[in-house]
Amino acid sequence: MTLDYIAIAILSSLSTASILLIATLGLAIVFGLMGVINLAHGEMIMFGAYAALLSTRLGVPFPLAVLLATGATALFGAVVEILIIRRLYGRMLDTMLATWGLSLALYQSAVLAFGSVTPGIGMPQMTVRIGQYGVSAYMVFLIFVAVSCVAGLFWLLTRTGYGIMARAAIADAETASAIGIESSRMNTVTFALGAGLAGFAGAILLPVFPATPSMGFALAIKAFLAVVVAGPLPLSGTVTAIGTLGTAGGITSSIWSTAAGDLFFFGTTILILRLWPNGISSLWRYKL
Amino acid sequence: MNSSVFTSRRLISPEQMLGSRWWWGPGLAVAALIGAASLFADPYLAYVASSWIIFGLLGLSLDLVWGRSGILSLGQTAFYGIGGYLGGIAAINLSELAGGTLVWSLPVGALAGALFAALVGGLIFYSRIGTLQATVLTYALTLVLWTAAVSFKITIGDAVVGGDNGLSDIPGFVSFTGEVMDPKGTFIVVLTVATVVLMLVQALLRTPFGTILSCIRMNPTKAELLGYDIRYYQLAVFSLSGAIAGLAGALYGSWSNYLSPSIFSPQEALLVPIYVLVGGRGTLIGPFVGAVVVGGLSFWLGGGVIGGQTTLIMGLGLIVLVLFLKRGILGTIMDVIATGQGSIRLNRTGGSVDDHASSLKIDLAQLRGLVGRRGANQPSLRSEGAVKRFGGVTPVKNISQSFSLGRVHCLIGPNGAGKSSFLRCCTGFYRLNSGSVFYGKEEITRWPMFKRARAGIGIKTQAAQVFDEFDVYTNLWIAAYRHHGNAAEAHIHSEQMLRMLGLMAKAGKPASELSHGEQQWLDIGMVLCTAPSVLLLDEPAAGMTGEETRHLSLLVRILAQEVVVVVVEHDMEFIRTLDAEVTVLHQGAVFAQGSIDDLRKDERILDIYLGRREHVRDL
Repeated sequence: MTLDYIAIAILSSLSTASILLIATLGLAIVFGLMGVINLAHGEMIMFGAYAALLSTRLGVPFPLAVLLATGATALFGAVVEILIIRRLYGRMLDTMLATWGLSLALYQSAVLAFGSVTPGIGMPQMTVRIGQYGVSAYMVFLIFVAVSCVAGLFWLLTRTGYGIMARAAIADAETASAIGIESSRMNTVTFALGAGLAGFAGAILLPVFPATPSMGFALAIKAFLAVVVAGPLPLSGTVTAIGTLGTAGGITSSIWSTAAGDLFFFGTTILILRLWPNGISSLWRYKL
Repeated sequence: MNSSVFTSRRLISPEQMLGSRWWWGPGLAVAALIGAASLFADPYLAYVASSWIIFGLLGLSLDLVWGRSGILSLGQTAFYGIGGYLGGIAAINLSELAGGTLVWSLPVGALAGALFAALVGGLIFYSRIGTLQATVLTYALTLVLWTAAVSFKITIGDAVVGGDNGLSDIPGFVSFTGEVMDPKGTFIVVLTVATVVLMLVQALLRTPFGTILSCIRMNPTKAELLGYDIRYYQLAVFSLSGAIAGLAGALYGSWSNYLSPSIFSPQEALLVPIYVLVGGRGTLIGPFVGAVVVGGLSFWLGGGVIGGQTTLIMGLGLIVLVLFLKRGILGTIMDVIATGQGSIRLNRTGGSVDDHASSLKIDLAQLRGLVGRRGANQPSLRSEGAVKRFGGVTPVKNISQSFSLGRVHCLIGPNGAGKSSFLRCCTGFYRLNSGSVFYGKEEITRWPMFKRARAGIGIKTQAAQVFDEFDVYTNLWIAAYRHHGNAAEAHIHSEQMLRMLGLMAKAGKPASELSHGEQQWLDIGMVLCTAPSVLLLDEPAAGMTGEETRHLSLLVRILAQEVVVVVVEHDMEFIRTLDAEVTVLHQGAVFAQGSIDDLRKDERILDIYLGRREHVRDL
């Protein structure tokens, strides 16, 4: 095993973890800030993927299509919050069931509208070479995207009025509303943000994950597990959880096989939950 | 009080209460038989209707854990599918040996479902994973199995599990004589199995086990504070539900002769809560009603249950059910019947709640026989350097304190001094970050709550915790049952406690309808029913009238002769009547100690209560 091989294995593991991080952030934000687990998260990713696919087919350049998809999914999320989530406030399990219903309704709508297979848009044909090994430039670009997402969210939650108000409303909804923060509107914005991130994930990952109706289920399994492992802190918890699970799973799969990587992923999940049943970040002092 | 009160209609034992609708099961089975008899003209309908009963059985497995035990599992189809596959493999290989097919497939299916559920449940409950997280895990599990089953290939004897191709040639319903049953026979077999399972489940829930499950659903913390190992009960019911789902899967395999990985698909899984919600959650028979209604609608309106736009309709249907139809068909019918009889039991918004508790007549003469441990050991509770931190907040900074038999112990201090947090460290609700807790000579720092409660540490928490939906009698009974482990003795004990508390007239009232003060008394009664040797009372006098507070004071003093009593209170007059050893806590540490009169002279204590001068650090 050469140094080149190790370098390329680490690089590709990092990009695998980044993909997972991009796909998880929206779910984590909604869980961390609202205490809601959105079981339709995977289908919102799919929503974004189809939105981006359709836009590119209409001749919109890909970067713009990503923006369009993000906006459309965020808007959709806002509608879902107003029509469904808001009415189930405080009924956590019922909220999960409702989002689950939404998940399958969206899946079936996609099957009816697009059929079960659609052509992908193809990955840009650039590679990053290290010695004799190569990895797609787009995969490396995704690492950059993941880091930017986390940095952007950190900025949003600590430096903007919305972020500070959202965190206040989470800390104490009553006091927050007493000083004029409308927590119901915060929830709409937060859910829309989570949905928007899902849509963004679907769009930006389109070259890697072609849009199919069932893509949501595939992406969501690991995202759900990652959020459970991460615990309540949407940024630090999620980054740590995926840093551990994703990178370790990625390295395992590049040394042995994808199946071994997945097995490692699930095994680590179980181990972490034995040690920290409410997620690794459940006891942390830091609150973001 | 004369004894005729105990035999009056008001006193319903939990068995009677839960069992009052036992006839639903067999009754509906008979109704289904009669209905089916008229359908027998059409064998195809009898064949399809068999699957509805099987789906109802699958729904029952969810209702048992979700409706009765408060655990939402989205993984019931995982147990169902595994039971189906393994039951099918058993039937393929073993049916030649003897005794038809179901003799092999049903037990194997049930066992496989139970074992797999025990594995998953063991992880969830013994790690104490949160409710939401547990639901997500069960769903992730289903999705993982769905993905894995598509590529999973194995040959066991004559059975070929072919990944995407599934498992085919599962023998159908073959009787002992080796005859293949017709659709009518199949229907009768399926209905019989379902009825037997339903009646067994109903019988189980009429036992104390069922009552304890309901308590865990209503308030898991309180159930554990009474000394019940809730993990054990949750794991047991989860495994049982896995067994039922596995059994249903084995029936389904024999019914369809073929299984494919789509049995693990989310589309299939989605139907399970729909059956439960349509029929009525927590009713047990409801899932069957739901499955027949959903199955019947898709049969007569066209289209199979799975296929075409059905998933779209079901998905939207689930949203609508969750939003609007909370009680389901059977729940709504029961509500109508209950209203007709003029006995809406859980009318929380109605004016039935007494705002004052003057009806209480504490009879302390009854008390002596009710408390006191028979152990020769001198009970005591001691902490050494106890520290509890939450992120940046440290409610318990460093408390070394010992409580032993003799005078009543009181903990006072301004809000936020760490009084309640300290008690929670003693009961095990919080685990210490450092330091240790001793009970008698034993170190109990790492003991879980239920173990401490069983050893004899009882607590009435700051907010009275009662099991809302159960009546007053059952609340006391469930506490006494943990102590005695015997329904008859628990019955005698809880009647004595009712008499002592003067709550006899309200024995049949749901605890949620009691006033604040009465709930406090009930909670104290529940703790006493567990016969603690260390009794922690967190603000017991809150919400009580002057008269009641005097009774409470007397009660505490009598108790203190036999039991270590620690009282957290703000009511200084009440504390004065206790003639107590008072400990002042301040910012998570012991600040002063002495009798209340000594402490009254201490200017520093007034300072910390009023938040002035140098004893108050800036926060």
